[in-house]
Amino acid sequence: MNKKRKGSSFGKSRRDKATKKRDWRGPRLPNAFQKELDRRDPDGGPSDDEEERDFNDVGDDVYEYEEAIPEEESKKNKRFDLVENYQYELPEDFKDENIASDEGEDAEDDGRHARMLQEITGLPSDAFAGSGKKKKDFIISEAYPESEYNPSRDILDGKGLISIQDLVESLHGKSGFSKLRKDLRRMESKAAPIITPLPQADQERVERKAAYEQSKKDITKWEPLVKKNREAPTLYFDEEMDLGFSTIGAIASEFEPRTDFEKKIASLVNHNEVVEAHKKDGARLLELNELSIEDMQDRQDRLAKMRSLLFRHEMKAKRIKKIKSKTYHRLLKKDRTKAADLAIQMDPEAAKDIAMKQEFKRAEERMTLKHKNSSRWAKRILERGIDAQDEGTRVAFAEQLSKHAELTRKMSSMNKSSSSDESSYEDDSDDVADGSDLDKTSKLLINAKEKTRKLLEEDEELPHSGVLSLPFMVRGLKKRKEAADEEANLALKEYDLSLKKLDGKSELGRCDMDVPSGRRVFGAPNKAVSETSKKVKSDSYYANSDSEDGGEEREDKVIEHEKDNHLLRSSDIDPNLLRQEFEINHDSVFKSFETNVEEPEPKIAYDVSFFASDSWKKMKKSSANNQIEVSHANNGKCSASVRSLENETMMEDDGGNSDADSGGEMVDGILSGGGKSGYELPSQSELIQRAFAGDDVEEDFEKDKAEVLNEENPEPEKPVLIPGWGQWTDIQKKKGLPSWMLEEHETAKKKREEALKKRKDAHLNNVIVSEKLDKKAERLHTKSLPYPYTSEEVFEQSIRMPIGPEFNPVSAVAALNRPEVVKRAGVIIKPIKYKDINTGGRDETHARRGQKQKKGKDRNMLVKKKTPKV
Amino acid sequence: MRVKVISRSADEFTRERSQDLQRVFRNYDPNLRSQEKSVEYVRALNAAKLDKIFARPFIGSMDGHIDAVSSMANNPNHLKGIFSGSMDGDIRLWDLATRRTVCQFPGHQGAVRGLTVSTDGRVLVSCGTDSTVRLWSVPFPSLMDFGTIHNNEAREPMTVNVWKSAFWAVDHQWNGDLFATAGAQVDIWNHNRSQPVNSFEWGKDTSISVRFNPGEPNILATSGSDRSITIFDLRLSSPARKIIMRTKTNSIAWNPMEPMNFTAANEDCNCYSYDARKLNEARCVHKDHVSAVMDIDYSPTGREFVTGSYDRTVRIFQYNGGHSREIYHTKRMQRVFCVKFSCDASYVISGSDDTNLRLWKAKASEQLGVLLPRERKKHEYLEAVRNRYKHLPEVKRIVRHRHLPKAIYKAASLRRIMADAERKKAERRRAHSAPGSMAQVPLRKRRIIQEVE
Repeated sequence: MNKKRKGSSFGKSRRDKATKKRDWRGPRLPNAFQKELDRRDPDGGPSDDEEERDFNDVGDDVYEYEEAIPEEESKKNKRFDLVENYQYELPEDFKDENIASDEGEDAEDDGRHARMLQEITGLPSDAFAGSGKKKKDFIISEAYPESEYNPSRDILDGKGLISIQDLVESLHGKSGFSKLRKDLRRMESKAAPIITPLPQADQERVERKAAYEQSKKDITKWEPLVKKNREAPTLYFDEEMDLGFSTIGAIASEFEPRTDFEKKIASLVNHNEVVEAHKKDGARLLELNELSIEDMQDRQDRLAKMRSLLFRHEMKAKRIKKIKSKTYHRLLKKDRTKAADLAIQMDPEAAKDIAMKQEFKRAEERMTLKHKNSSRWAKRILERGIDAQDEGTRVAFAEQLSKHAELTRKMSSMNKSSSSDESSYEDDSDDVADGSDLDKTSKLLINAKEKTRKLLEEDEELPHSGVLSLPFMVRGLKKRKEAADEEANLALKEYDLSLKKLDGKSELGRCDMDVPSGRRVFGAPNKAVSETSKKVKSDSYYANSDSEDGGEEREDKVIEHEKDNHLLRSSDIDPNLLRQEFEINHDSVFKSFETNVEEPEPKIAYDVSFFASDSWKKMKKSSANNQIEVSHANNGKCSASVRSLENETMMEDDGGNSDADSGGEMVDGILSGGGKSGYELPSQSELIQRAFAGDDVEEDFEKDKAEVLNEENPEPEKPVLIPGWGQWTDIQKKKGLPSWMLEEHETAKKKREEALKKRKDAHLNNVIVSEKLDKKAERLHTKSLPYPYTSEEVFEQSIRMPIGPEFNPVSAVAALNRPEVVKRAGVIIKPIKYKDINTGGRDETHARRGQKQKKGKDRNMLVKKKTPKV
Repeated sequence: MRVKVISRSADEFTRERSQDLQRVFRNYDPNLRSQEKSVEYVRALNAAKLDKIFARPFIGSMDGHIDAVSSMANNPNHLKGIFSGSMDGDIRLWDLATRRTVCQFPGHQGAVRGLTVSTDGRVLVSCGTDSTVRLWSVPFPSLMDFGTIHNNEAREPMTVNVWKSAFWAVDHQWNGDLFATAGAQVDIWNHNRSQPVNSFEWGKDTSISVRFNPGEPNILATSGSDRSITIFDLRLSSPARKIIMRTKTNSIAWNPMEPMNFTAANEDCNCYSYDARKLNEARCVHKDHVSAVMDIDYSPTGREFVTGSYDRTVRIFQYNGGHSREIYHTKRMQRVFCVKFSCDASYVISGSDDTNLRLWKAKASEQLGVLLPRERKKHEYLEAVRNRYKHLPEVKRIVRHRHLPKAIYKAASLRRIMADAERKKAERRRAHSAPGSMAQVPLRKRRIIQEVE
């Protein structure tokens, strides 16, 4: 576009030249200029074409071509930007340039220059046209030497210079003049030089700096929001939940049938007729719903048939259930078992099933011990005594036990290796089934006996060939056999013994023979096979003692009793000794207190105390005799153990009874032992003295204290002379211990003394203040103050109040235990969104927020305060 | 005769349903309970132990790639979907619930270096060393076909834009349609144009990672191979500020809840949290890794972030914690190249050299599945109690104890020794030089060489 413009202007200026040369008439130019100006249309802006035409038409009449308004100025279309903003940058320059360009260039430049001015200033073209004229005039006048005949206008005016004012004056009254003048004035007042542009790098740096400042400022707007979030005790991220589908309809609309059934249903539901009927009033749905009479009839018949079949079946079941005949049921059962047996033989699958069932039952029994008197019912019966029960209960009880035995025994038979033959066990079980318990056990014993005898009798024939026939092997085998025989003999003896015992027992307690007393009966025979003779003995012994006690439950003590079995027996044997002992005990107790009790039934009292103290007996039996002797010798001084015994008896006995046993014998004991004639009530101090007679409390305390001190500040070890250590032996011999060792010892001693002096109880004679660190308490202390806290008090405060639901009301617990971030799995968390915190703060008034803020305040308070202790 | 009875209103003691709990009335007078503090201490101890017992963070691995996993992207609009790109140019979409590939996006000739998804979750952008940026449409999962799995169907790219040089990273603007790629220069792209709408160059070094700020979508940060971190502002379409550190920054993550803060995963085993307004010093230095930190991603809650390292571990840090809260490792996991937090902040996904993606729980002992309100309350209480007594030695020991692979344990202790030695040396130097001549520079500043305007 520039080019084009240039081209056109070039053409025009050539024509200008021609006219100038032709019509030049001398210095009357100002007039012509005026005239020309007048002639011109004040509106200005004739188009290019018009002007061309004008020019052509007028031809030679016009002595000078008037510059056309450039396209930009014409404002005909908006192809050219309006430029108005360069006024600042053009103070007076255009004048200078004008002059400069005038010198070197011819007139065609002027046109271009004028256009430039127009472009820049945006003023109407006349203004510049005028000035251009003037200038042209001035320039042309230069062609002639300046003289009095050809004075320049300035000279005529009496000035040496042309100012802009001069130029503008000429435009007075034209349109846009005032604006032009204003602009000029402004330009004059604010003239400043243009600074050269910065180098690229610096420019970019400045730009970046500006950008950074800007973005900094932008980011800073988040600060209050972030601060609020950071200070909040809890952040909630579970509030914006978008479940996607809000209604069932929305979910259902996406449903697509996948399985055959669904498709079938869908095809029926979406059938055209149905849908249409739905869309209409729905009356046709009833029509579609119609059923044929035959269909209905069929259905009814079928239903009736099914119902009658069901009824018959029920009736049959009822009738069968009513039958009370045992034989019938037995036969039925037999049939069933037969069928099962047949199934086992015929059908491996069924056999497997049955075996599985059996195994399951056994396993269940092993796991639950359901039939082993462990149920509540069984326990209660045991508690009340099996004798107290009626026949039916007892039978049920026995049945249960036998069931347990059966189940567990079967198991053991399954687990046993093939060495034991099955038939014998079946026999056993049969026996168990019908015989009573005692019979069972004896039978078992007899069985075992027989077997061992058989084993003994049948001689193992020694191998005659192979490795085993080698002489040393044979010897070894023989030896082993002998040992086995011995064992078998022993076992035989045991069986005999236990059998005898059983017989005796059966004789003794014939009355409760049929009452199976659980563990004992079942356990004994099983144990007897495997366990040692000693145990069997003890067992049998206890069987006896049980019967003596008359059903007292003492089974839980079995193991203890076994241990000091012989001790008890001794107690059984010589109760007299014990009696004496008790007398002594009691008299030592009651010597100091009032013994003004009448004697009710000394025998009973004695019994009670005997039983009550038997735990003590167990422990102290070994020294019992000695003690008794001792107490016989000096009645006044009882050893500590005796005293403890007294207490025990006191505690365990009913007070009255124990008091009551101060019979005649006892009084005798006192008389014989203490020999007191007149009894006086001792004073309190006397009592105390007597109580603590013989022990020096103060000394003991001092010893204790020294011990504690030694423990907490141990004495340094004395240096020991080890030959060759630290020094050569010869030097050691001469000088003894090396000096540094002695020194070390000295300093250690001093340190210890100082430490002792520093102790809190150094000056407190009757006090021991332990300074040992308690490890358990140590765990409840922090080593240093934890990070966010600044003082101990605050930290202690922060953990002072409990937060658990047991210690706080429900309303407070939730707030106390709320985690720092509340979120829900599966809820997408969006990044932070900007909201003005001042406006946002007001609408947060629902309950949770309120609580949160309150809590936040509390926390803050707590943070200010804090502690390393729990 | 006068009979004294306790009067109780029927309203308070009648249950609405038979399953409702009986109301219990307690006397909360503290004088009645003197042991409450010790009770709670024991509970805290037990809670800490239980936490250890139930800490089973590893959920499962996603196997399928045949080369190392180089990049991953979350679908911000769909929780289950995660995209992963591997070094052989394979891109896969995984279903986290079933841990299987849903579909593949084949086409890249070289390694896939960057993956990102638009905020609406419909467009996947990938770029790689083959100098192409590819836009893919993401298959939209409808509610009904959550059971069915698209059997590895291959997808065609929507557009393929070839550009001048290899790309190292890409990230999408939050809630906008611009995305930025990092490579020889930082380019800003529009979905609809085949050429970048803007490109920035500050220096001649390659930028290796780029992240948009999710809070302020017009600000982005890049890290360069010249050890620099640069912040750009799109509104003024010019870079804003650059800092040069002593070692390279491998990845950057903005805190989504604090738009001014970002954390840089550095080659020197540490992460540095910066305030974008004050770049002359780091806000916090997160130490614990024993090898270069390769990738970092913030939890959407903004309270913690996950890092993956060249030392074959994944660690989780508090946003203001100097040491990691958690370390995850398995025998089979190799160098970790990329990590992501799931959009609900409860899972962590890591992609490693052994071609697998691994899914972890963000909280190792968290109970998954639906919690009854009482269960939730119990968990909350135990957590609160544990938090309260976490400073006491016993509890602290249990909570902090981690069983580490030998190599990492040894490397960590070696690093500690080295750091101690360095510190001691500096101390001695200072002691033997004129007072004030050697200023003590904190670690937060020490690793920064220069802040360039």
